[in-house]
Amino acid sequence: MADDKDVLRDVWFGRIPTCFTLSQDEATEREAEPYYLLLPRVSYLTLVTDKVKKHFLKAMRTEDVEEMWFEYEGTPLKWHNPIGVLFDLHASNTVLPWSITVHFKNFPDSDLLHCPSNSVIEAHFMSSIKEADALKHKGQVVNDMQKKDHKQLWMGLQNDKFDQFWAMNRKLMEYPTEEGGFRYIPFRIYQTTSDRPFIQKLFRPVSPEGNTHTLGDLLKAMYPDALTNDGEQKRYQVVIHGIEPLLETPLQWLSEHLSHPDNFLHICVIPAPSD
Amino acid sequence: QSMSLSVSPAQTAAWRRQIFEQLSERTKREMDNFRHYEQAIEQSVWVKKGTM
Repeated sequence: MADDKDVLRDVWFGRIPTCFTLSQDEATEREAEPYYLLLPRVSYLTLVTDKVKKHFLKAMRTEDVEEMWFEYEGTPLKWHNPIGVLFDLHASNTVLPWSITVHFKNFPDSDLLHCPSNSVIEAHFMSSIKEADALKHKGQVVNDMQKKDHKQLWMGLQNDKFDQFWAMNRKLMEYPTEEGGFRYIPFRIYQTTSDRPFIQKLFRPVSPEGNTHTLGDLLKAMYPDALTNDGEQKRYQVVIHGIEPLLETPLQWLSEHLSHPDNFLHICVIPAPSD
Repeated sequence: QSMSLSVSPAQTAAWRRQIFEQLSERTKREMDNFRHYEQAIEQSVWVKKGTM
């Protein structure tokens, strides 16, 4: 039987095979071949695509190059969401490799945040960790850490160092045994059928009566349409890291094991394939 | 077939087993045919080989 710790490794080392193609709208001096890469599910697009940028810049004139951005089938990809969330939300159940279009002009300001440097990604990542810890421990764990500890979390993600990251992150996953879990579960529910960026509210891992809250309890409270009623055909898939956990899965366990490095449990609700 | 004593009933819960199984299927689906692809993040301990 596998150990729960193995889940942390599986989550960390998840990869999406991706084919990057330069947009037809871009002016090139010579033909730009597609570029194939394994993207870490838990990282951010703009953090792991230096090679893609370098590859396509070789085919372009400097004056035609503005900020790089990515699109999948007409949808600009929000770099500030983890790669795995973007894939699960927009491209689940499609043929691999994931086909992403690369742009260097006409940046869609109304859809995407600018990302001029990695320090912007770092600030976004650390602010998510702080927000998650505010929900879990009133911010006490992250505030007790030193600057170098924060750096260790970021460098662990940036350099794909599992042990370095988890040596620090485990502190963010602790809780008093008598409380049975975090104060609130940091989660975000994404949906393709709404313009809302995500659903995020306060939700505890244990009910006032002391019962363990499950993934099903969370969805029932936040997004009941995502659940299938008896005798009804399944309309939605509830996807976390490319898998569909059973609705009986305890929320606290999910938060500890299937959260992204930003310490949020990112849940995608997508239409079920009709076959 | 006897089970290891270290495995508590909770550890064999259906939801847990199902997560292990699905993660393993995910690896097969998303990674097994693509292991020849380049990694986005180079691990500094590896020396990159030239084509020749």
